[in-house]
Amino acid sequence: MPQATALVGPSRGQRRTSLLLALPALSLLIVFFALPVLALLLRSVLEPAPGFSNYVTLLGSSTYSRILVNTFTVSAVVTVVTLLIGFPTAWALALMPPIWSRLVFGVLLLSMWTNLLTRTYAWMVLLQRTGVINRTLIDLGIIDQPLPLVNNLTGVTIGMTYIMLPFVILPLYGVIRRIDPAILQAAALCGATRAQAFRRVLLPLVMPGIAVGGLMVFVMSLGYFVTPALLGGTANMMLAELIAQFVQSLVNWGMGGAAALVLLSVTLSLYTLQLRLFGTSGLGGR
Amino acid sequence: MTPFLEIAGLSRHFGSFVAVRDVNLEIRKGEFMTFLGPSGSGKSTTLYALAGLDTPTSGNIRIEGKSILDVPPHRRNIGMVFQRYTLFPHLTVAENVGFPLSVRRRPAAEIAAKVGRMLELVRLQDFAQRKPGQLSGGQQQRVALARALVYEPPVLLMDEPLAALDKKLREEIQCEIRRIHRETGVTILYVTHDQEEALRLSDRIAVFSKGVIDQIGTGAELYENPATRFVAEFIGDSDFLPCDVLAVRDGLASIGLSGGLAVDGVPLHGNPAAGKAELMLRPERISLSRAMPASGPALPAVIGDLTFLGSHLQVAAATLDGRALSVRLPFGHEVVGSLARGDEVWLSFRPADACAFCSAQGGS
Repeated sequence: MPQATALVGPSRGQRRTSLLLALPALSLLIVFFALPVLALLLRSVLEPAPGFSNYVTLLGSSTYSRILVNTFTVSAVVTVVTLLIGFPTAWALALMPPIWSRLVFGVLLLSMWTNLLTRTYAWMVLLQRTGVINRTLIDLGIIDQPLPLVNNLTGVTIGMTYIMLPFVILPLYGVIRRIDPAILQAAALCGATRAQAFRRVLLPLVMPGIAVGGLMVFVMSLGYFVTPALLGGTANMMLAELIAQFVQSLVNWGMGGAAALVLLSVTLSLYTLQLRLFGTSGLGGR
Repeated sequence: MTPFLEIAGLSRHFGSFVAVRDVNLEIRKGEFMTFLGPSGSGKSTTLYALAGLDTPTSGNIRIEGKSILDVPPHRRNIGMVFQRYTLFPHLTVAENVGFPLSVRRRPAAEIAAKVGRMLELVRLQDFAQRKPGQLSGGQQQRVALARALVYEPPVLLMDEPLAALDKKLREEIQCEIRRIHRETGVTILYVTHDQEEALRLSDRIAVFSKGVIDQIGTGAELYENPATRFVAEFIGDSDFLPCDVLAVRDGLASIGLSGGLAVDGVPLHGNPAAGKAELMLRPERISLSRAMPASGPALPAVIGDLTFLGSHLQVAAATLDGRALSVRLPFGHEVVGSLARGDEVWLSFRPADACAFCSAQGGS
């Protein structure tokens, strides 16, 4: 951590040594990440002619702004739903006996390590018109016609929620585990009902975890490509698909760069906001 | 008359383990009652049952004649200070103390006034806007005390609140707790494993051992007349010598010690059927002299070690059959200056100051 070294106050020699140690990774990042990104962003203001015409087109056209709205809506819904599912799951994991929580974590990690494409195709099978979910619902007599669960934003939302779930459960679990149960007992003896103890003691204490997990899911969802491409329809694109289309199909580097910059600036401003509100405490962990 | 707080036949089983066995206790209004015992003796389990944080297997707890077992913790209106620091870390000191009133939806002006008065009581007025993380352990426990008293609960439970603090700070806060008890008149149930703390604070002490109460009484009663060997060991210092019970009359026994010394009029506890007992002697109740005393029981002994402890001299002596006996001599005792290791001396005691516990019972 940079703050830690600053506090200790390393000598000049130490600082030079640590800089040297970081040099290989740093140069790799500069050459293969920072420079290409910079080049792409530059092309957004240089091609086809210098100026902001790409941005005017992107933000002015109703087609493109609908893609932006789609992206933000899906990301927001995915974030809220993962938090709603992830919070009770993390809470239960923190309370259950270690043997059980280890088992659940095993399942969770196993699904994270399974190939993303495999998992997404699995959802296609589950969600399609003649898939398990629709057939079960029809057999149970709950619906007459199959629900359109795939090739639209519903499919994207379902698939992304599943993929993002571990990213909220893990930080929330870490935060909840650090809360001393005696604090909640104290709240009860102070006269707080379960609802009051939850809202006024537990929730504020878990907030850093919610912020970290929520931000991570939201930002990852904004730029997600595979799941929207496979589970979404051609009519409802998301931003990452648009960038891919500009670069790959239309070979319009200028527009691609502009869309990438929009994505990057939204991500960075959200990250800054989160740092402002919650500091770095929730990120590093103790 | 119904007692203010009554614990009747309380038991708590965890599987086959019995943590608390048939505890009966009556507590007067405004009393400072301490549960004293080693860890695992059931004192905290009893306290948690009172708080509603644990459900007893059987028995009942009544306040002013009404059972509180079916009342959930948040409606029991009981204050509690925990061993661990349980302040809400995201709230300031003032918000922490005001929390119980705020969840009871009291008006803001009333909350502010009562919080101010409470912080004055625990002498932390200047810390109202700090966060718990900026306070020392002692200050945090004082805030916790204020938070537990702000809604004027009739009963305050304290579960080893000072265990994490160092000795000097502990004594300081013990004085504060006594003062607060005097000023508020709240009934306090206090759990500790520290006999000195129990003696310093309590009106009465209940000594817990292996899930049962061995004895209930004032500190002086427990010290003067311990009911079991466990109580004798736990309150004050004591040494034990094996002896035979020769005769018993009116609770007083004639006993025979090794070396043929017979002592009459020793208070006896337990069932003397086995004929064996252990004689308890307090170091400060033993007299030491160079010559055999003219009257009263006296044991010949050899001095093993001498430790000067300021106000007194601690003598580690051994009887002729090798039993260790400590003697505490006040500074300025006529023989103190001339004592040396290996000296042969006489140790004498008054039979009424000693106590014998029958071996069949509780001889652990």
